[in-house]
Amino acid sequence: MIISSDSQNGVTIVSINGRVDGASAPELEGELSSRIRDGSVRILLDCNEMNYISSAGLRVFLLAAKRCKQAGGLLSIAALQPSCRSVIEMGGFHTIIDCYDSRDEALAANA
Amino acid sequence: MLTFIEEILLLTLDDENGSFLPIRDNTMDYVLAGAALLDLAFTYRIDTDPERLMLIDRKPPGIPMLDRVLERIAGSAEDRTTRDWVETLAREEAENLRESALARLVDQGILEVQDKKFLWVFRARRYPAIDGTVQREVKHRIAGVLLSDEVPDPRDVAIISLADSCAILRSIFSDHGMDSLRPRIDQVRKLDLIGREVAGTIEEIERTMAMAMARIPH
Repeated sequence: MIISSDSQNGVTIVSINGRVDGASAPELEGELSSRIRDGSVRILLDCNEMNYISSAGLRVFLLAAKRCKQAGGLLSIAALQPSCRSVIEMGGFHTIIDCYDSRDEALAANA
Repeated sequence: MLTFIEEILLLTLDDENGSFLPIRDNTMDYVLAGAALLDLAFTYRIDTDPERLMLIDRKPPGIPMLDRVLERIAGSAEDRTTRDWVETLAREEAENLRESALARLVDQGILEVQDKKFLWVFRARRYPAIDGTVQREVKHRIAGVLLSDEVPDPRDVAIISLADSCAILRSIFSDHGMDSLRPRIDQVRKLDLIGREVAGTIEEIERTMAMAMARIPH
């Protein structure tokens, strides 16, 4: 998994490339926790290049969403590939975390 | 921090007298098996997806009842589904998990053991809480999630999912409260894949039993 980030209109965009599983989830959790601690509480996870997510990854998404909301911000997800979207929807995560088809759509909604 | 096995056992004890709430034995076995898998998942020893359960780190967590479960998973030659592991552990490890977790709760000063005797014959063992603080804290966390629309913590999702699988949320909320909370419970419990598999296994068994009962001539 490779994580990169940038910022647009006050939203921190964290792009995830590869697999988010039990081996890589702690790294993603560390990255998101550190950004939230530093005050970046409007986070968009760009999942366009994320090709797998396991339970461990889903827990990281949920925990980060909780921390952002507690800090007065919002975490949202964009550009899920079909296989990952199906895992997210099966667990009903889309009822708790806003999911968008594209990064642009997510940024427009969070403007 | 308590394990999920310990937390769910605490929730299944009657606050007043330390006896176990009426839960069907095999239902509780599946719940304990799921709790063990959740303990291993939250310490990054195993991981799951809708198709399978994977070993990611064979290092023992240092709690004998969990070390033993991890050793079994690590020793398995083939990939298996989460549901398959729930069924295997329920059958073969549940009793050890229950006894070990109760002993740990007693050792930690959370519960005490009371053996009830009738005419000098041992009748039942009870586990009254020493001061009930820990049970109250777990129930408070559950209520905090279910009575709000906040994003739940993954640990709270897991315990709610286990508690709902053995139908003990009614001991926290009234029947009327349960009806109005059902949509939120269903939303939260779905968020955990292991919890979903435990619930699915129990539902399947209940369906099979109901069908078998329906075939018995009256």
